Amino acid sequence: MRKLSEGAEAKVFETRVFGVEAVVKLRQKKAYRIMELDETLRRTRTRKEARAMLRTSEAGVSVPRVLGLGKFSIYMEKVSGKLLKDVPGKRVSFANMGAMLAKMHAANVTHGDFTPANVMVSGRRMYIIDFGLSDISNSIEDRAIDLLLMKRSISERQYKELAGSYAKAYAESKRVFSRLADIERRGRYQIRTLA
Amino acid sequence: MLTMGIESSAHTFGVGIADNGKVLANEKLMYDVGSRGMIPSKVAETHVRNARTVVRMALEKAEVGIKEIGGVGYTKGPGIGACLQVGQLTAKTIANGLGVKIVPVNHAVAHVEITKHETKLRDPIALYVSGGNSQILKLTGEPFRHYQILGETFDVGVGNMLDAFAREIKLRPAWGSTVAKLAINGNYIEMPYTVKGMDFAFTGLLTYASSLAGKKNKEDLCYSIQETSFAMLCEATERALLLTNSDELEVCGGVAQSTRLQEMLRSVCKEHGMRFGVARNEYNADNGGMIAYVAERMLKSGKSEPLDRCDIQQRYRIDKAVVV
Repeated sequence: MRKLSEGAEAKVFETRVFGVEAVVKLRQKKAYRIMELDETLRRTRTRKEARAMLRTSEAGVSVPRVLGLGKFSIYMEKVSGKLLKDVPGKRVSFANMGAMLAKMHAANVTHGDFTPANVMVSGRRMYIIDFGLSDISNSIEDRAIDLLLMKRSISERQYKELAGSYAKAYAESKRVFSRLADIERRGRYQIRTLA
Repeated sequence: MLTMGIESSAHTFGVGIADNGKVLANEKLMYDVGSRGMIPSKVAETHVRNARTVVRMALEKAEVGIKEIGGVGYTKGPGIGACLQVGQLTAKTIANGLGVKIVPVNHAVAHVEITKHETKLRDPIALYVSGGNSQILKLTGEPFRHYQILGETFDVGVGNMLDAFAREIKLRPAWGSTVAKLAINGNYIEMPYTVKGMDFAFTGLLTYASSLAGKKNKEDLCYSIQETSFAMLCEATERALLLTNSDELEVCGGVAQSTRLQEMLRSVCKEHGMRFGVARNEYNADNGGMIAYVAERMLKSGKSEPLDRCDIQQRYRIDKAVVV
């Protein structure tokens, strides 16, 4: 299997499922932590990630289709395209992105790492990828952090477009924006991004 | 020229003497935390009593006279205000008496820099773990040369968390190192694990583990709280290493003395073929040697301050400190 990427907790390989091109995200054993903790983390995170992807997809947002689930692995559709971070000028519809984020949050999914490195642009379609840090929750803070991480990586004009459509499409958006302002005022608890 | 460094941010009053990048003396006296933890006024009183003695110990160790000291540095912060003031006053008194230059030093920068010096790593990611601090750091040149905070604790430092737990289950002395000793014979109990990207939080873990005090045996609790908190640090650190394409890691600060944490971080580095480094324990614990080492470099590049601008700052964050 060809390795496509490697993060702190999982590796992504190219594979085939019933003859169709696919990728598998495998949470590998970490030698640094004790076996009990290692297995619990890998198992619960794999399950949670798959659940978040399915929920987001059911809410009408494009995510890679989940094809199969192992104890520590998720098989998913291979989405070809370019990561938003590699698109010159990030020229995409941020209004669409705002609507996608609104639908995802309305379905109680927070992404946890919503940056241009985790949006795949495929033709005119955008896919949200890598739900590895996602959560199923009604936390306003987590929603605000999703907005904040993207805000830090795009232009002011692009953010305005994103925030405008998010506000229209999501009933709780007022609370999220007010929390976002709070987070930005905090000193110690600043959220950083490298994307 | 010799540079004297004075450290007093918490329970340790330390005096070091540096000579061209070499630490000639690194002496200290500590406040005994017993089972109560640190009471700021009591710690400061102890430092006042110890200050002269430790300065003398350092001079004797380096076999030099006070007149040979050509510059002074002291810890400006972060730390406990009452404690920092004792070191500040000692440093200002000496600098004023000798008529030499003085420079305030960031405590965290000193830990990271002395470790870099000791381990000969070039541009490592630094995991700085002590009582009050737990941060993942990287040196950056923009907009000035400083340590950027890639990730850090959302609440308390890992050391204070383990010390607080030691007090909760009535260990003596109430230190994280006592937790480590009991952990050797423990079995795993599942506990809250909170990592968000490169940041992490410890109070949920502390509250949960403390709620089991008296219900589960101490060894199991010590083992589980230590394994869980260190695994959190390792995961966040590994993410920082991969995201920045780094190939070197250092760990520094009081908790870096933990052999279990060292072993776990070494394992992270081994998996990716990265280099790992940790300083000798005398530099991981709070000490004046590291302050002398950094102060010497700062004075050489003209970073001294006039006496009336030599202040202290309890929350002197590492990303606000210029690194020379």
